[in-house]
Amino acid sequence: MSDRVLAFEAIGQDFPAPGQRMNIRVLDGISFEVDRGKFVAVIGPSGCGKSTLLQMAAGLLIPTRGAVHHRCRKVTGINTEVGFVPQQAQLFPWKTLAENVELPLLFRGVTAGERKERVASALEAVGLKGFEQHFPSQLSGGMQKRGSIARTLVYRPDIILMDEPFGALDAQTRMVMQSDLQSLSMEAGATVVFVTHDITEAVLLADHVVVLSQRPSRLLANIPIDLPRPRNMFEPFRNPGFEAAYDAVWTEFRSQIDIGRVH
Amino acid sequence: MTEMTYDASAGSAGLRRRLSTLAAKPLQWALKLLPGIALLLFWQWASGRLIKEIYVSKPSAVAQRLYELFASGEIYPHLWTTGQELVLGYVIGVAGGVIGGYALGRSPRLARIFEPYVMAFYGIPKIALAPLFIIWFGIGIGSKIALASIMVFFLVFYNVFAGVRSVDRELINLTLVMGANQRQLTYHVFLPAAAPFVMLGMRLAIPYSVIGVIVGEFTSSAQGLGLFIHEASSTYDPAGVFAGIVILLGFVAIANFLAGRLERRLLRWHSLSGAGPIDI
Repeated sequence: MSDRVLAFEAIGQDFPAPGQRMNIRVLDGISFEVDRGKFVAVIGPSGCGKSTLLQMAAGLLIPTRGAVHHRCRKVTGINTEVGFVPQQAQLFPWKTLAENVELPLLFRGVTAGERKERVASALEAVGLKGFEQHFPSQLSGGMQKRGSIARTLVYRPDIILMDEPFGALDAQTRMVMQSDLQSLSMEAGATVVFVTHDITEAVLLADHVVVLSQRPSRLLANIPIDLPRPRNMFEPFRNPGFEAAYDAVWTEFRSQIDIGRVH
Repeated sequence: MTEMTYDASAGSAGLRRRLSTLAAKPLQWALKLLPGIALLLFWQWASGRLIKEIYVSKPSAVAQRLYELFASGEIYPHLWTTGQELVLGYVIGVAGGVIGGYALGRSPRLARIFEPYVMAFYGIPKIALAPLFIIWFGIGIGSKIALASIMVFFLVFYNVFAGVRSVDRELINLTLVMGANQRQLTYHVFLPAAAPFVMLGMRLAIPYSVIGVIVGEFTSSAQGLGLFIHEASSTYDPAGVFAGIVILLGFVAIANFLAGRLERRLLRWHSLSGAGPIDI
């Protein structure tokens, strides 16, 4: 029981449709669990409500049906024990990189001395040492993303929720970031829920890939990925067993792309 | 850093370039001043030749009048009165605008109730209120402060309102998940996000506060630059009118300078966005 960090239990979500009396059913009876130290990727066609699941885990949205349990406690309000890495880096433009990373510690009442130490080590971990005094606008997209990850790692959240964090990056930066994320999460033993629409990314990073269907979204499969770590992010096909794992996910996902004419 | 080492080693070429950048600034200033000087010269020449001097005066006469006004001390009571009205009207208007704009920006419920009213009042030409304010607050500085502050209020109010509402919902959620309480959210997110809008409103409001004060003084007053200009124009004294206007320009210039200083301090991050990004 102690190993279960996060549990989605029969989650259903309706959203009001503009100009219609009926609500749109977005999520329908989705259940899966996330164990401690595991990396779970959630994959699904666009508009299927993947991000909605993360918002529920963070307590920003309460599901219409079902519940999210975090360490056996039902999530009913803002969940400050999670870390959230959004699609855009969302650093505070009016704060320097160091001030950005320091902010969650400040909110949590960490003493000044410890704050300084932890900010320095978090920035070093993501390879941004020497950029402490830069403002976000002075950093490249990849560096901002690293800053965003450092700002989450710094307060050692119980679970890290990532919402297509590398979607907006160019292909090269993205591979580097994926590789760095793998080593960071392995080192920290972090529990991660990672939303993406990229099958390769999901297979390379995750211990489990959860495949969602078109709207109204149901859980199609929860596929364990048993590739040895560390995995090679730069040449996916060189990982022994990659093809079979990709195939397993793709078999489930393919049907969704065929239907998916309307986005 | 690289610039300096390059200059040191490159000798004469670097020196020449440095000289040319040194010369560039005065040259720019000269170019900036040129149209102004040309205008003054034309005014000086045309006055009495193309147009009667009694209509437009001339720069030398205006300068002469300014000197007399300050030398005799005649202008100081007017300066003091108008200065007080401007500063108080501006400060009250800005404070009200920031507080009101922030409150309505943060609370959609309040905004739904009060927005139509604020819109309606915004549409009123505030200058039309001048006679009413004289009745309410008397011919002293109170009525002028009221008029200036209400003009400033709406400008600042709308900018702050828009600024607070423009804060990305995702950023707010993210800050809450990081563990912020409402006070911290205000201090670390809403106020800095609204700061560029506040500054814009404050800059726009400077000339409006002057208009408010001067119109108030035109309408009815015992002392002030507006009264001085009004009296000068009704006694066919264009040099006096222009002297008054020059002094008002001085007020606006000082206020703009101070606002610029404040802006540079508050919005350091904003002005830095022009600097090129550094890639990994």
